[in-house]
Amino acid sequence: MRFGIFFELSVPRPFTRINESLVYQNALEQARLADALGFECAWAVEHHFLEEYSHCSAPELFLTAVATQTTRIRVGHGAVVCVPQINHPIRVAERAAVLDLLSGGRLEFGTARSSTWTEIGGFQADPDDTKKDWDEFVRVLPRMWMEERFSHQGRCFSMPERAILPKPLQQPHPPMWVTVTSPGTELDAADRGLGCLGVATASFAEQERRTREYHRRIQQCSPAGGAVNDRVAILNFLYCHEDGAVAEARGLHFLGMFGMLNAHLLFTREAYPTSAYQSLANLAPEPSKKGGPGDRPGVPEGLCLGDPAAILRAVRRWESIGVDQINFLVNSVEVLPQDQVLDSLRLFAKEVMPVFAAC
Amino acid sequence: MLTGTADPGALARGAPTLAGFGTEPLKLHGVETLQIFCEIERESSDALLPPGLHPTVPPAVTWLVQRVAESPWGAFSLAQCRIECRSGLRPRGFLRGGVVDCAEAGAALAERWGYALRPGEIQLDRAYDRIRASVRVAGEEVLCAALRDPMPLRNADAYYVANVNLAHTPHGLRLVQVDPEFEVERAERGRPVVERFAAAAWNADGARPSYPVSGSFTIAAVTLPALRYVSRPDVLAFQGTERVDAQPG
Repeated sequence: MRFGIFFELSVPRPFTRINESLVYQNALEQARLADALGFECAWAVEHHFLEEYSHCSAPELFLTAVATQTTRIRVGHGAVVCVPQINHPIRVAERAAVLDLLSGGRLEFGTARSSTWTEIGGFQADPDDTKKDWDEFVRVLPRMWMEERFSHQGRCFSMPERAILPKPLQQPHPPMWVTVTSPGTELDAADRGLGCLGVATASFAEQERRTREYHRRIQQCSPAGGAVNDRVAILNFLYCHEDGAVAEARGLHFLGMFGMLNAHLLFTREAYPTSAYQSLANLAPEPSKKGGPGDRPGVPEGLCLGDPAAILRAVRRWESIGVDQINFLVNSVEVLPQDQVLDSLRLFAKEVMPVFAAC
Repeated sequence: MLTGTADPGALARGAPTLAGFGTEPLKLHGVETLQIFCEIERESSDALLPPGLHPTVPPAVTWLVQRVAESPWGAFSLAQCRIECRSGLRPRGFLRGGVVDCAEAGAALAERWGYALRPGEIQLDRAYDRIRASVRVAGEEVLCAALRDPMPLRNADAYYVANVNLAHTPHGLRLVQVDPEFEVERAERGRPVVERFAAAAWNADGARPSYPVSGSFTIAAVTLPALRYVSRPDVLAFQGTERVDAQPG
C-alpha cells in the first residue's frame, strides 16, 4: 500500500490575494512534509471557475513548484482535462514532458474530461464530445512522447508532422491514469491499460467490485500508451489524532465543508441532458442510508478520520480488497489550521505508514 | 460558502398555504414538459434564494412549461420559474413564481404541494423545427422561450431536479420538497432560445438571463408525490429539515 496527498487548493471566501497565496503556500509546506515523511505522490487537480472548491487552474505550475522543493515524492496530475477547448493536446504533451524533466522523472500523468457544466460551459466545450475528446487525447499523447516526429489527422484536432519537444525523462513515458468518478469509468481505464485513479469516495463493497472488474478486464486491454499501468488508487480523507473523538469532530468538519462546496457546483447532467453524462458525478460521500437529510452523519465507511488504530483498520480493509494506493485530501478551505494538518500527517506517518512499509 | 440572502418574511407574503402534510400522490398522464435551462448573472442572484438554500456556481434559472392532458381537474397548463439551488447537498429548484390556466388545478397544487401560482394563459406549440412556449399574465407576455432543432434524447437522459416550494404549513413557513417522478415516454433536446422574460412577473426581480444552456422536452406520466420533508427557509438544511410523512414503525 502506498499513500499520496491530494490537492484541490480550495480557498475560503473572501477571495483576497492573501487568502489565495496562503492556500498555495500551505499546500507547498504540506507537500514538503509529505516528501520528508515518505508519502509516494503529491497529486493536484485541474479545475477552472470552481469558486471556493478548487482554485487549482494551473496544476503544472503548482506541481513544478512541488517538484523543485522536494527530492523524492512523485508529482501527479490528477488530472489534466483532455478537452481541446481547455487544453490543446500538443501543449499538454509539452508541459508534461517539461515537468517530468524538471522533477527528475517523477511525473504521474492523470487524464480526465471534467464533470461540471461550470467548467465545460465556461470553455464552451460540447458535453456530447468530451468522452470522444478524452479518448483521442489518451491515444495521441503517448505517441507525441515516444515518436521522434508526430503528425495526426483526428476528430478533435489535426496537425502536420512536427517534432514535439522535449520528450519526458521516463521511458517510454510517465505512467498514465484516468480519474474515475462515475461507476463504469474504471472499465474505460482497464480497456486502455490506464491506472484507475479514483477521485470519488466509494463503499468497501463498491470499490471491491470495481477493483475486481478492473483487474479482470485489464488483462485483455489494448494499451493506449507504451506501457500498461494496472494500479488502483482511491481518494480518501485524512485527519489523524491520538484522541479519536477529536479526530472525528475535526475530520467531519473538513469533510462536510468539502462535500458542501462540491455539491454547489453545477453538474453537467443537471444543466445539459446528455448520454455522455449519466450521473451527476459529485464527489461527496453518500449520506447515511439510515438517516434523513437533517440527520448529522458519522464518519462514512472507510474514511481515515480517527485515531491511528481506527485509520489502520480502514487502510487494512482497503488493502484487502486490492487497492494499491490511497490519496488523501487533508483540508478544505483551510477549516483546519495548518499546524493541525501537519500534525495529522506526522502522526499518520509515525503510527500507520510503517505498518505498510514493512509489508 | 454562498447562501441565499432573501428575506423569508418578504417571501412569505406571496406564499400559498398548505392544507396539511397528508397529501396523497397523484399521477398525471400525458404531460408534455418544455424545460429551458439558463445561466443568470451572479450579481443579485443570491437575493433570489432564502438563507436556507445555496446558489449554484454559476447561478441558473429553469423554466418549466407543462401541458397536462389528463388530471382530476381536466386538461391544464402550468409554467414555473425556478432558481437552481442546493438544499444541503441536494440539487433543487426554488420556485419563485408560476402561472396556471385552470383555477381548480392551481388551488389544488397550492394546497397540496405548495405551488405559488397565478392565473394566466399558457401556449405550448410543438413543431418539427422548434418547441415554443409563451406565457401571458393579464395580457402581457411574461415568458417566450423555445427549443430549436429538437433531436431525440434517450428517455433516461432527461433530468429534472426536485422543487422546493415556499408555503405556510402547519409547522410554519417552510420549504416544501416536491420531487415529481417522471416516467418518460419520449425525450428531445435542442438549442435554447429565450426571447422574453419579465422577471418581475415571476417574482424574480434580479434574475437576469445571461447564457441559455439547454432546452429539453419530454412526454411523460408525472407523479406528484406524497410529502416527505420540509425545511426552514431561514437556516441551512442540516439544521432545519423536518420529516413530515408517517414515520415507519
